[in-house]
Amino acid sequence: MKRFIELVNASVSASKILGAACLTGMMLLTCSDVVGRIFGHPILGTEEIVGLMAALAMGAAMPYAHAEHAHVGVDMLVKGLSPKKQAMIDTITNGLAFILFLLMGWQTWLYAGELKKSGQVSLTLELPSYYVVYFVSLCFFIFCAVILVDVFKNLQKAVNA
Amino acid sequence: MSPTLIGVIGIVLMIAIFFSRMPIAYVMAIIGFLGFSYLTSFHAGLKLLSRDIYDVYSSYGLIVIPLFVLMGQIAFNAGISQRLYSVAYKFVGRIRGGLAMATVWACTAFGAVCGSGPGTAATMATVAIPEMKRYGYGDELATGSVASGGGLGMLMPPSIVLIVYGVLTQQSIGKLFIAGIIPALFITAWFCLAIYFYCKVRPEQGPQGEKFTIIEMLASLKDLWETLAVFLIVMGGLFAGFFTPTEAGAVGSLGVLLVGVGERQLSWKGFVKSLYEALRTSCMVLLLVAGSVIFGHFLAVTRIPFEIADWVGGLNLPPWGIMAAIILIYLLGGCFIDALALIMLTIPIFYPVVIQLGYDPIWFGVIIVLVTQMGVITPPVGINVYVVNGIANDIPLEKIFKGIFPFLFALIVGTGFLVAFPQIVMFLPNVMK
Repeated sequence: MKRFIELVNASVSASKILGAACLTGMMLLTCSDVVGRIFGHPILGTEEIVGLMAALAMGAAMPYAHAEHAHVGVDMLVKGLSPKKQAMIDTITNGLAFILFLLMGWQTWLYAGELKKSGQVSLTLELPSYYVVYFVSLCFFIFCAVILVDVFKNLQKAVNA
Repeated sequence: MSPTLIGVIGIVLMIAIFFSRMPIAYVMAIIGFLGFSYLTSFHAGLKLLSRDIYDVYSSYGLIVIPLFVLMGQIAFNAGISQRLYSVAYKFVGRIRGGLAMATVWACTAFGAVCGSGPGTAATMATVAIPEMKRYGYGDELATGSVASGGGLGMLMPPSIVLIVYGVLTQQSIGKLFIAGIIPALFITAWFCLAIYFYCKVRPEQGPQGEKFTIIEMLASLKDLWETLAVFLIVMGGLFAGFFTPTEAGAVGSLGVLLVGVGERQLSWKGFVKSLYEALRTSCMVLLLVAGSVIFGHFLAVTRIPFEIADWVGGLNLPPWGIMAAIILIYLLGGCFIDALALIMLTIPIFYPVVIQLGYDPIWFGVIIVLVTQMGVITPPVGINVYVVNGIANDIPLEKIFKGIFPFLFALIVGTGFLVAFPQIVMFLPNVMK
């Protein structure tokens, strides 16, 4: 279990760094395009590349955002319960989230396969977007692993409380 | 069971699961997926999951969110908030309650580069609360002014909430931004008035601060140039049609980054921290959008939005009565659900009604931001209050909520004015036409 948690944490850190690099790239490329436009030389396909980088950045951010508890929830009822009950509720909700994102990851993987098979490419630069879709799918699986760690931790809490 | 009944069951179930502390984005996606699958097919539901989320993540229109969030994070880590606060203090610090007024003005100014309400509250709480305590301000006024002033970041452009509203309703983000300026300044003025009267009644809450000479005041203005320059370039370029909102966000982020590096206020560590924070916040917002899109598809097949729009259209109530009911729903909902989530959840239902009643969608966008701004400072959810409490953790939550009341009153009265006189909100967008 310890090895699994370490592996999950390393994956989260790696995806976080990749996401940050994509965000920086989006900023720099868009600004370069604006400056290029002023001098009559816009960068061809900026929108497409920035769109793909955004999908990479947001995909990569998902495991990190969940691990950092970035998502908003309503906890006013649950926080009044005993630690054992809180841990039990968190186990169930995390379990549901695990199923949801596993389905999303699986379906995104299939979607990437469909795009690859149809040979679909972007309009201007003719970039194959299925690589990005595969990456987003992979991020969903890392995200699921992060949720799974939470499920184990909450189960442990529920048992020990 | 009819699709409408399934839709109603879905909504009730979703609200019930909200109270389990499960992230709102996840709940919307689960209910949306299950409901859509039930009404169409499981296969169609599965396809919806992958398409909707990937479309949201790769949408060029939504890329504006991470870029504006990044701009706010860099501004925070470059210490721009501190400089804004010190300028505002030099101008109004000598008045009773002046430091609290300075806080509110600094919140508005910081909101102009930040875009997020809780982000503005967190930033200004770090800067302003220790200063107010140093000058003997009461805990209630100190924390109340930061939590309430932070809400102005939701309205002052570039506002993340207005961007999301614009994307969901297909309205011009530029127009929504410009429509937010006058209401934000108007509410800031109301907040200052509230502080003035509060200090008349409870003078111990806001003692007078230092007095500065006119030369010192004018000299402090040089610290404002960077915020002003970035704001003018970003908004000017956007309104002049030179930038798209996404380009404005990228130029703003790079602008603030260059200012921070040039002034030696932003370290490499600060920049990396800004990137991670921007990723974290943007992912939270975009997953909420994705959840709301999935849920919206479910609602669309139930036909609930159209049924409600038809039902409301047939009611024997004047349009302002229906609008008042909608505002009341937002006000109550805002007490329990995060502002952004509430807007995304309700837009598919109320937006067609508002359009059918003949109200301007730009005006409605500003008004619901104002109303949900009340939600971020009212119990039991009041996210800004928790943010401030997280930073000033020696001050009890009850005291902060108590400190909110003068501002909440001012916000209700100010919003009432903007509802009664829509021309105040629509003045700048109409000039833009």
